[in-house]
Amino acid sequence: MKKKKLKMYLIIFISIIILIVELFPIAIIIMNSFKKDIDIWSANPFSFKPTLDSYKKVFQRKDVMLGLRNSLIVSILSTSFSLVVGAMASYALSRFKFRYRKALSYSFLISRMIPQISLSIPLFMMFRSLGLTDTLIALIFAHMSFNIPYVIWVLLPFFSSVPIEYEEAALVDGCNRKKVFWKIFIPLVGPGLVVATVFTFMMSWNEFLYALVLTSSNAKTAPVVINGFMGQYAPLWGQLAAAGTIMLIPVFVITLAFQRYLIGGMGGGVKG
Amino acid sequence: MATKKNKRIGERSPVLYFILPALILVGLVLIYPIIYAVGISFFNWPLVDESSRGFIGISNYVRIFQDKEFWHALFLQLGFIFIAIPIELIMGFFVALLLNREFKGVNLIRSLLLLPVFVLPVLSGLTWRLMLQPEYGAISFLLNTLGIPQTAWLANPGTAYAAVIIQDIWRMWPFMFMFIYSGLINIPSSLIEAADLDGAKFWDKVIKIIIPLLRPTITTALLLRLIDALRIFSEVFVMTGGGPSNATTLLSLYIHKQAFRYFNVGYASAMGVILIVISLIIANFLVRRNMDSGS
Repeated sequence: MKKKKLKMYLIIFISIIILIVELFPIAIIIMNSFKKDIDIWSANPFSFKPTLDSYKKVFQRKDVMLGLRNSLIVSILSTSFSLVVGAMASYALSRFKFRYRKALSYSFLISRMIPQISLSIPLFMMFRSLGLTDTLIALIFAHMSFNIPYVIWVLLPFFSSVPIEYEEAALVDGCNRKKVFWKIFIPLVGPGLVVATVFTFMMSWNEFLYALVLTSSNAKTAPVVINGFMGQYAPLWGQLAAAGTIMLIPVFVITLAFQRYLIGGMGGGVKG
Repeated sequence: MATKKNKRIGERSPVLYFILPALILVGLVLIYPIIYAVGISFFNWPLVDESSRGFIGISNYVRIFQDKEFWHALFLQLGFIFIAIPIELIMGFFVALLLNREFKGVNLIRSLLLLPVFVLPVLSGLTWRLMLQPEYGAISFLLNTLGIPQTAWLANPGTAYAAVIIQDIWRMWPFMFMFIYSGLINIPSSLIEAADLDGAKFWDKVIKIIIPLLRPTITTALLLRLIDALRIFSEVFVMTGGGPSNATTLLSLYIHKQAFRYFNVGYASAMGVILIVISLIIANFLVRRNMDSGS
């Protein structure tokens, strides 16, 4: 019995060590956000006097504020559009019988895996010829290229698992398909919608490549602005860390709040 | 009765009503760009001087085979995949076993471990870049106190490549952990306990019971990670920019360089198309598994 208790303490000890090592880089970035740039370049990286200096500077920077605003707009709008459109498509794919239904589901699912770098070139050329370079509209559309397939990917199993009797009853009662969808299905697939919302939002919020390729100044999102802090000669680590920490707040709040949905979301509806 | 109802409502129009918006949007931002990419991959298409644009057939694809830099990028990419993913899997697996028990605070540990997975890739890359700075980086400092001389880790090809891989392992092993853990809690504990009573040793249990039962979960996780690792870009781009001297120029970075630094969009697209094909082959396995078990 004593041996068992000892083993338990050992397990707890190892777990805590793993956790400390794993969270070390995050701690570093948060710690550096409370330092001045000049203090980061000198001396012991672990000794410092906390200051809000970098945050003050970051909040005064127009480019950071614009970047955060753009990130929010792009994330919220592309998430909303993708959710509506993706949920409707999932409903059709799970409930109607029509030709090419299977092929269509397959295409939607597989299209989630197309590498962004391959799409970035044609998207860049398309938006350039449409005169949409460096606009938020271009970014919102570009984000939908990964968000819509993702939403369908997540929601399809949720829609398929709704018992068919539910809608039969409603259809007999005289509801039409649109009403069935909005009034009956949407509430029933609620958990799926939560997963889809959380993940599409985070994918957009974290996205970098499209923002790098498709924007130059007006439509820059926060990740691109943060990368700009590296500068040519002297990186502004303090401000970079402060802006980065601000970007992390929604991510961590979402991660911890929706913890129990995360596994389903990471697999993206894939059954393990 | 039901069919009559359906007839009255009309089966065809609701399908279109529901599916058309997605079809149009996906067609615009995904299908059309893919066709476009395939199209330009047959052209010599310099972005800077578009007058010299011209159809050159499959020359770009032939050029890929002769391009030493491409093969180098592919080699680095495969090395990255075959080093990072197995380590992530092994770490994730054993930590999942370790944390598949109840003690005070275990829930908190499990969820905190997941945070790195969701850190912005850009911020992750930049943080590692900061930590590895020779004079003032936290990791350099710690290694120095252990007696390892200060080195410009990201300025040396070998260590820069290793750093890129370590960064990915740090970010993504918790993904494996969470995936495997979610499979583990679905294994009836009676199975594992029964083995305990039989006096089965730890490794016997792992090899004969746990791994066979988790096989589908592990395969899915591996396929997902494989597709992601194949297209990794942001973390590496901000961490090393592909350098020093191409030591960390993985496939996506090389394509990006050809397209947006050398402005050879035709050639870059040809490589992009090849990357699409490879990704779709892997994705095909994943989607088929999913659709089979779904129906």
